[in-house]
Amino acid sequence: MQDRRIPEHPILSWERRNPVKLNYDGKQVVAYPNETVAAALYAAGVVAFTRSSYLHRPRGPFCMIGKCSQCMMRVDGVPHVRTCILPVDDGMIVESEEPHISDYPTPRYELKVEKQDLSYDFVIVGAGPAGLSAALSAAPSGMRIAVLDQSPYPGGQLIKQTHKFFGTKESFAGTRGIDIAKDLVSRIKDYPNIELYPMTQVIGYYPPEGVLVAARADGVGKYNVLTIRAGKFLIAAGAMERTLAFPGNDLPGIMGAGSAQTLMNVFGIRPADDVMIIGAGNVGVIVAYQAKQAGINVKAVIDILPKTAAYIVHAAKIRRMQIPMLMGYTIKGAYGKDAVESAVIYGMDRAFRPIEGSEEEIKVDGIWMAVGLSPSSELLSKMGSKIKFVPELGGYVPYRTKYLETSVKGVYVAGDASGIEEASTAMMEGRIAGISAAMSAGRGTDSMAEERRKAIEWLDLFRESPDYRRIKEGISKVLIQEAA
Amino acid sequence: MAEIEGSQGLEAGIVTLEVLRREGRLPPPEILEKVAVPIIDCLEDIPCTPCRDVCPTGAITMKTMIDRPKLNWEACTGCTLCAQACPGLAINIVNYHFGRKSLKRPGYEDYSLVMIPYELVPIPKKGDMVAILDRAGKRLGEAEVFSVIKSPKFGTVMVNVLVPQSIAFQVKGVEVKA
Repeated sequence: MQDRRIPEHPILSWERRNPVKLNYDGKQVVAYPNETVAAALYAAGVVAFTRSSYLHRPRGPFCMIGKCSQCMMRVDGVPHVRTCILPVDDGMIVESEEPHISDYPTPRYELKVEKQDLSYDFVIVGAGPAGLSAALSAAPSGMRIAVLDQSPYPGGQLIKQTHKFFGTKESFAGTRGIDIAKDLVSRIKDYPNIELYPMTQVIGYYPPEGVLVAARADGVGKYNVLTIRAGKFLIAAGAMERTLAFPGNDLPGIMGAGSAQTLMNVFGIRPADDVMIIGAGNVGVIVAYQAKQAGINVKAVIDILPKTAAYIVHAAKIRRMQIPMLMGYTIKGAYGKDAVESAVIYGMDRAFRPIEGSEEEIKVDGIWMAVGLSPSSELLSKMGSKIKFVPELGGYVPYRTKYLETSVKGVYVAGDASGIEEASTAMMEGRIAGISAAMSAGRGTDSMAEERRKAIEWLDLFRESPDYRRIKEGISKVLIQEAA
Repeated sequence: MAEIEGSQGLEAGIVTLEVLRREGRLPPPEILEKVAVPIIDCLEDIPCTPCRDVCPTGAITMKTMIDRPKLNWEACTGCTLCAQACPGLAINIVNYHFGRKSLKRPGYEDYSLVMIPYELVPIPKKGDMVAILDRAGKRLGEAEVFSVIKSPKFGTVMVNVLVPQSIAFQVKGVEVKA
């Protein structure tokens, strides 16, 4: 088996002690305790995790954060386990699922389910920049707060950002995302009234009593099913990466840019040797830069638009590192037998018609999609919050007041789930929503009111930036005007 | 090496000296006599202020948080903090007359010291030869690494290279072979 772990990185280091062994389809795979099963398999060069049920096409992970289903495998006999958010354990038996020949459901496993009733003052779904900031801002009220997240690691997508953030002192400017995550998590631990629930996935919400049901994984096939009652809820569930429709887009090796970031920066694994990135916006150019930091050859960053949507400083960083950016290009198809081996791209004119003779074949073993994100607002919809499709905000988002309360009293939203922006704005929204939840419960303080006023002022100023004109327009479409 | 050249121009992320000159980002010659100066490749109104916040003399100003940094050449001491702090790694520091005034090594009278933020591996050592690149990634030749300093606060490495004055403003990056 190969070892695709990154030995040396300019910003990051990974603890690789006390290796454990997995049994993958009869072969031995070495893993380290802080890795997930999917990461360990990728480190060993495994890219195809499962097969599609109808055409039996090979499939590999797309999102790496527990949102898609392409990393599902049978682990210790339990089928359909999301291996990307399952930490490794010595002796785990991991099998590729062959749904077309599988005998699912089978008697090869036994689910152990325990039920637990919980009650909190404030329940936050999502331990990313928005959720953690909300918990920290609401904590001085003394409310009992729970923060649920399906990932084993708190911090959301901050935990894979190696670059220093834009912004001001108030928003951690100049600090790397990984360090912001550490700071938020360490401050959470100072509050005895905040409880973090990692590896906990919300699976339902039952009105009218308002009971949230979540499954907390406690090893493979063992779940604590939590029924949670709370006075206030904040849904900060983040976003899901999008893909594009093109022939071969399901080949293993084709994944979201964020997925590649997870492998490279959280686990220190090279997802590919030669990669093409689709989308030259901020995510695309930043991930290209991170690929270079991880020792990966970026063959091209392509974008259908004639002009990059990224900040020039981010794009300029990769251009002086000799990474080609092809504007006005799109993908025709991806090709390969069991995984991606090449991509064919072609140029387009200003009317988005293909330019004859512009086709080029690029040999790659990875294609990363940086073509935008969709807000994860499903739970809000389930909770009854009024939802609207707002293209400027990336998709379906809830109506909200300026204090981020949705159309359902006591249910708040913050971060990418309210509209795709960035981590800095997610943290500010988290503060506003967290404080508002505490204040509306009658547990606010004067200093919290002042912090909220400052956060709103900061956000308004931040969104004055020319790049935020669209976002402001989008927000105005779903803003609930409050009676004075 | 890249097989594809890629699109050109600012629309594809390539900044040129003409653009910097137009934006007033290249120093007047009399300033170069005095101190090292930052060359700030920041051309958009981004909500971003670390360079301003870190400047010990207030030489960098912005009207609001969403503004391009404006540099007061007279007030700048060339301390390099802005280059270490910039999240976009957009600032190089050029000590234009370093060869004549400080280095005093025969044959290096017309050399500048260009200080470049660097966040890749391998990290070069003093005395190494590294490739120097312009803003489009074009190789301008090789340069001697005069010193390497890791910013304790920001974690960014500054690779300081000796380059001929004629290309001191053209150099934007370095490439270090393993």
